[in-house]
Amino acid sequence: MSAPSQNAGFLKQATITAVFIAVLWGVDQLLQIGLNPYYVRVVVNCGIAAILALSLNLINGCAGQFSLGHAGFMAVGAYVSATLTTVYPAGEFFQSPLGVGVAITIGGIVAALAGYLVGLPSLRLKGDYLAIVTLGFSEMIRVCFLNIPAVGGARGMNGIPVHSSFFWVYLWAALAWVFFWRLLRSGRGRAILALRDDETAAEAMGVEVSHFKVVSFSLSSAFAGIAGGLFAHYQGFIDPQSFDFSRSVLVVIMVVLGGMGSLSGAVLGAVVVTVLPESLRVFESYRLIIFPLVLILMMLLRPKGILGHREIWEFFPRRAK
Amino acid sequence: MTPPVLEVQDLSISFGGLKAVAGFGLTLRPGALEGLIGPNGAGKTTVFNLLSGVYTADSGRFVLDGADLRGFSAYRISHAGIARTFQNIRVFSHLTVLENVLVGFHQSIRYGYWDAFLLTGRFRNDEAAMEQQALALLERVGLASRAGDNARDLPYGDQRRLEIARALATHPKVLLLDEPAAGLNTVEKEQLMGLIAKIRDEFKVAILVIEHDMKLVMGICERITVLDHGEVIATGTPKEIQSNPKVIEAYLGVS
Repeated sequence: MSAPSQNAGFLKQATITAVFIAVLWGVDQLLQIGLNPYYVRVVVNCGIAAILALSLNLINGCAGQFSLGHAGFMAVGAYVSATLTTVYPAGEFFQSPLGVGVAITIGGIVAALAGYLVGLPSLRLKGDYLAIVTLGFSEMIRVCFLNIPAVGGARGMNGIPVHSSFFWVYLWAALAWVFFWRLLRSGRGRAILALRDDETAAEAMGVEVSHFKVVSFSLSSAFAGIAGGLFAHYQGFIDPQSFDFSRSVLVVIMVVLGGMGSLSGAVLGAVVVTVLPESLRVFESYRLIIFPLVLILMMLLRPKGILGHREIWEFFPRRAK
Repeated sequence: MTPPVLEVQDLSISFGGLKAVAGFGLTLRPGALEGLIGPNGAGKTTVFNLLSGVYTADSGRFVLDGADLRGFSAYRISHAGIARTFQNIRVFSHLTVLENVLVGFHQSIRYGYWDAFLLTGRFRNDEAAMEQQALALLERVGLASRAGDNARDLPYGDQRRLEIARALATHPKVLLLDEPAAGLNTVEKEQLMGLIAKIRDEFKVAILVIEHDMKLVMGICERITVLDHGEVIATGTPKEIQSNPKVIEAYLGVS
């Protein structure tokens, strides 16, 4: 490929990015004026859920491992970033929107390190056993935060600067999408998908299976941590209860419901699992029965998830060129 | 005489009290096409598992181009230049045929994560080049027209040929084929054996093949090693093997 066409490629990417950011900012402004704050909250929660589902999809859907501890990584990102902005150093910089962005990024990096640690047992464990270890780890994280007075203990943390918004959440969600999309379409992504299908064969083809298991745990946890940071700085309040077992399960449900290994499936699952309980509010407490029933029915009718392994656009016939 | 590309000496492994392979030895010269035969349970696949790093031998050594690879993990052995196919087919079933072969190119990837995220020229060039090579390999085994299909949708025989193409993508010096013709009909078997002989010539790779069909093994292999109860009981040209009383005994039993 010649140099000019490369530059053109970069120019095109930069233009698309700029237009996307502009549109996102515009929509953000419109939402603030035009939409009921309750709906805005649901839409933003969908975005946070989408980041969580996209990231868990890498472990559970693509690498073929089973993590039941995504809330733990989310907690790491949330607490680390909130500590930076609220407890220490909490200066003027970390209270500003840019500082919050930096804090959220640092939260993601720390979560990635935690993911690396949890990824290590995945080298020896599979399936249910791995799920139990990841579950145990996320509970450990939660109990740790529960017992650190500096971050509020059981009372949680108050007064976190609210600087994440529709704009920031969906910017990160788009970044997560592009990140995982391009990862899966590169040689490294193929290696991860190959180890899901057959570890022995992947290793025989020169893929360092243990390396890629740990890499997928780290990359996935990084984005879970970022989702946690966004969550903390959107709510303005976090407590250990926000990151309990049921949140981990909800993220697994999103991935399984949408279709394991499908990026658009993960997003769809995130939206369904976030919106469905809200839309069932008319049934009052009965929604706690109806929501699981709907999930059970969906899994009975489509055991592979709504989209299966495929992406959403693969269901529509291609337009002739 | 050219020096051997693969030299196996005294390779042994036990599982519990069972000596699965004992004192296995073999010498492959570059471009050789040799057979490994033996009755069921003789330890043929175990030998392949040792040579490809699925198991680590208790003792002995196997030297590829001067480097002893015993104790290396499977991916490092693959990088060193020993590739294999599997008796019970192990294609990556949810990947396309083309992607299966691309996984074989894993160790040739030079671009980093950032190249993939920013879609740099380096990433695009490398991917395009790999794709071209992968398609050429598929063309060679007659699967180019199915490059976009899911690997699990291929018929049995095609999956076996896909495994061969995938193994060739790792640029092997030695190719281990574990019953490549199992489950094929007579015509398909003959085509496959012809293909294997051609691959040996074109890719300058030494091939060791496990096969049950005596007629085929005798037809294409220059030398044959016979294994029984984990031990080598005979080595030689097909003619020598056919008339070896030990071999006849192993297959037919003592009368």
